[in-house]
Amino acid sequence: MTPPDTPQDKPALLQPRRTRQRNWLPSLVWLIPIIAAIVGLTLVAKILVERGPVVTVSFRSAEGLEAGKTKVKYKDVEIGQVQTLKLAADRSHVLVGIQLNQEASGFNAEDTRFWVVRPRIAASGISGLGTLLSGAYIGADAGVSEETKKEFVGLEQPPIVTRDASGRQFVLHTDDLGSLDIGSPIFYRRIKVGQVVAYDLDSDGRGVTLRIFVNAPYDKFVTQASRFWHASGFNMELNASGFKLHTQALSTVVLGGIAFRDRDEDRVSAPAKEGSEYPLVEDESAAMKEPDGVPQTALLYFDQSLRGLQPGATVDFRGVVLGEVKSIGVEYDRERREFRMPVLVQIYPDRLGRRFHEETGEERRSNAQLLRLLVKRGLRAQLRNGNLLTGQLYVAIDFFPKAKPAQIDPEKVPLELPTIPGSLDALQQQLSDIAGKLSKVPFDEIGRDLQTTLKTLNKTLSTAEQTAARINNDIAPEMQAAMKDARKTLNAAERTLSDDAPLQQDIRQTMQELSKAAASIRVLTDYLQQHPESLIRGKQEP
Amino acid sequence: MQKRPDLIVCEECDAVYQRMPLGEREIARCLRCGAELERDTGKRLQHLLPLTVGALILFVIANVFPIVTIELQGLSSQTTLIGAVVALTRDGMSEVALLVLATTLLFPLIQLGVLLYLLLPAARATRPPGFVLLLRLMQAARPWGMIEVFMLGILVALIKLSNMAEVIPGPALWSFGGLTVLLTVVVSFNPRYLWHLWEQQQAEQFGDQGAGA
Amino acid sequence: MSRAHEPVSVTLAEDEDLPVADAASQGVIGCHHCGTVWQGATEHEHCGVCHAPLHVRKIDSLTRTWALLIAACIMYIPANMMPVMVTSTLLDEQRDTILSGVIYFWTSGEWGLALVVFVASFLVPLFKLVALGILVISARRRSRWQRLQRAKLYRLVEAIGRWSMLDVFVVSVLTGLVKIHGFANVHAGIGIAAFGAVVVLTMLASLSFDPRLIWDDAPPISTVNKKQEPA
Repeated sequence: MTPPDTPQDKPALLQPRRTRQRNWLPSLVWLIPIIAAIVGLTLVAKILVERGPVVTVSFRSAEGLEAGKTKVKYKDVEIGQVQTLKLAADRSHVLVGIQLNQEASGFNAEDTRFWVVRPRIAASGISGLGTLLSGAYIGADAGVSEETKKEFVGLEQPPIVTRDASGRQFVLHTDDLGSLDIGSPIFYRRIKVGQVVAYDLDSDGRGVTLRIFVNAPYDKFVTQASRFWHASGFNMELNASGFKLHTQALSTVVLGGIAFRDRDEDRVSAPAKEGSEYPLVEDESAAMKEPDGVPQTALLYFDQSLRGLQPGATVDFRGVVLGEVKSIGVEYDRERREFRMPVLVQIYPDRLGRRFHEETGEERRSNAQLLRLLVKRGLRAQLRNGNLLTGQLYVAIDFFPKAKPAQIDPEKVPLELPTIPGSLDALQQQLSDIAGKLSKVPFDEIGRDLQTTLKTLNKTLSTAEQTAARINNDIAPEMQAAMKDARKTLNAAERTLSDDAPLQQDIRQTMQELSKAAASIRVLTDYLQQHPESLIRGKQEP
Repeated sequence: MQKRPDLIVCEECDAVYQRMPLGEREIARCLRCGAELERDTGKRLQHLLPLTVGALILFVIANVFPIVTIELQGLSSQTTLIGAVVALTRDGMSEVALLVLATTLLFPLIQLGVLLYLLLPAARATRPPGFVLLLRLMQAARPWGMIEVFMLGILVALIKLSNMAEVIPGPALWSFGGLTVLLTVVVSFNPRYLWHLWEQQQAEQFGDQGAGA
Repeated sequence: MSRAHEPVSVTLAEDEDLPVADAASQGVIGCHHCGTVWQGATEHEHCGVCHAPLHVRKIDSLTRTWALLIAACIMYIPANMMPVMVTSTLLDEQRDTILSGVIYFWTSGEWGLALVVFVASFLVPLFKLVALGILVISARRRSRWQRLQRAKLYRLVEAIGRWSMLDVFVVSVLTGLVKIHGFANVHAGIGIAAFGAVVVLTMLASLSFDPRLIWDDAPPISTVNKKQEPA
């Protein structure tokens, strides 16, 4: 076989001797993987070191949670991340595996609480709206226990009060819960300062005990003199004093709430101790009422219709509510042979008395003595119209100096107070008087006189009508004719005098000719002046 | 058939040449079409193993850690290479996902893995088993490893994102950068020279026979 | 003598008219995988070093290249017309094709990026399609026109082919990264699958093209013994 003839390739140098050199370069190159390895290990170590404990929290549902993405936050700081989501073996709940950061290692204390923050509407308001955009996250409340746990049961609702919230708890007693619930707000001067934490039916079933939590710094406004009342929804009052509508805040219309205030705001009272107990009453006015003292029962007899008077109606003294009507009845008085309406009222003379005493400074006398004195001065009970609209009546106690004198027997039980007929009665009397007067008026005679007058009037009117007709028929046409002539004359005059009337034009033409003539005469006279000889010789040709 | 170690054939134009031994760092080129016939491997073979190891380590780092984290309005999102592939699959683009996976994970891994296996000192004594198949596999995978294009793709994506969100590079980004550099060096080594690796060693061990005329 | 230490890849100008003997006429085949030259080998015989089958030329090179090229051309149309990326934000949904992405970069002042993406995702694939087309057609006609340039063209196509994958990777990274619920979400569009197909097909096409065909004047008259067909 002939070896193929090939041109040389380049660059054909003679072969150098190949020597095996021990060079250090390979070890330098090994630096590269070594550095890479170090970097990798550092990264891994960093991640491992930054890891905190791993906990498992069970929730009923994993809605909004995502493995590897959902964060765990405390006070909005990320303290961990959800790593795994698994269904529990019995499929009743979800096990969420959480990897906590190193700095959050305290969060596996035994009493730590976990819950899911999602958009939520609850008694305390709407929360978690930010999670609509950012996705749900898991909130945590650090525990203080020394013991640690690995498995937790998550709360289905965010806790009402986190451990770090400062404030104080108090206890309220009330008849019924109304529209309150856990989380219902507590208001002070219409600002939400706390919420209901728990409630329970009393063991004897006669009331409800509530536990409330008022946040710092508002908890210092809860004093020993504080009064609590239901601020639920709105209070509507329709009674003898009129129609009133009270609300605390719009949320209470839906959620119910409690408000409180010091009864006497002028006096500074000491802040209440934690756990102090208070009654919870119906509304603000009930809460702010002065203590009533001993009630006194009294009996009132009225001679008029009691329609519109109801038990519970107020007993009023010049606008001050003294008490209320307890019951109404009917009695037949055999001796006088008439019906009487006994009205049983309960009054609190202290309401009157204390003020009275403060003003006059007299010694405190017994109730009975007081009443006798007052009756002598004209104290009577009267039924008055509270509300014309509804016809409600109330009992007014007032001084009537012109009243018939009456006696009061302070020993009788129940005490009987003298009464005076109601103002409505007086009105009725007046009306009947007017009616009587009206009947006396001689309407018939008046009527007859009126008729005669009318007839005369009629005659006068017809005469006038005739006169008018004559004027129209006779005089009017002549006047018309006269007017027509006048108008013709005027028209003629107008035509003569108008601008383009022929007379005017003639006059104008004449004037023009006259002026032309004058002009030419002037020319002539000028010429004559210059050439007087032309008179004789005639005009010379130039 | 008969081996002709004294000849070399141009791969691109089929011209036949006399094979000359090359000096250090010399390249033999075809006279007709300028294609590279052969080049002196020299020290590169020694460098190859540490570079491969380094590349593999960086490869692992680049895939375990997130490439980049973006933050928008307090929300953040991050991904790794595999995360991107998974996301593509979830969107229904499983073919594209497969393509990306192959070109950035599979083929580079095959290349690096086979090289490592073949170059490990323990395997130097004799040809390791499966040598032929593995080397053929590696040569087949060679044009399909596209990590450097991927690197550029990441950069373009980051610049596009930096307009609308805050971009925080992750450890994998730097790893990919280093990996690109290392891989470029490793891949530039034509594996065909490995075929003769053992022959050369055998020749050196047993005296000058056969290879290298 | 010690010039061996200097890098010496000397490149004198190539001469395409240089009369060199090509392997086929000399009866030798170079192994495509390991480079060993064999004499007296038959087609399909396995290389003694690497066990790869020996071929004078790549089998059916032109046919395969042409088929792959046409497929790539077909896919090129949806790749550019369909959206490659769908960005859904809180307010709207934006569909991006390759060109609209370039325009976006351009109008937002990122000229460098616009250029990069334009070159890599639009020009390069187009260039590859055209170049391969030229190569196949000229090889089929055994043209002698600009052989050297064609050879260099082929080398260029091989070198830059992979870079047109750029947009695929950009879309993948964005799809994997921008998944912020409620704010922004990125999905890959159908266009990117077509685009990926274009890249793969053109790469396969260039791999199956045998550049030696550029230099063949006629189907290689091979002194290599063909395998005996069973009668």
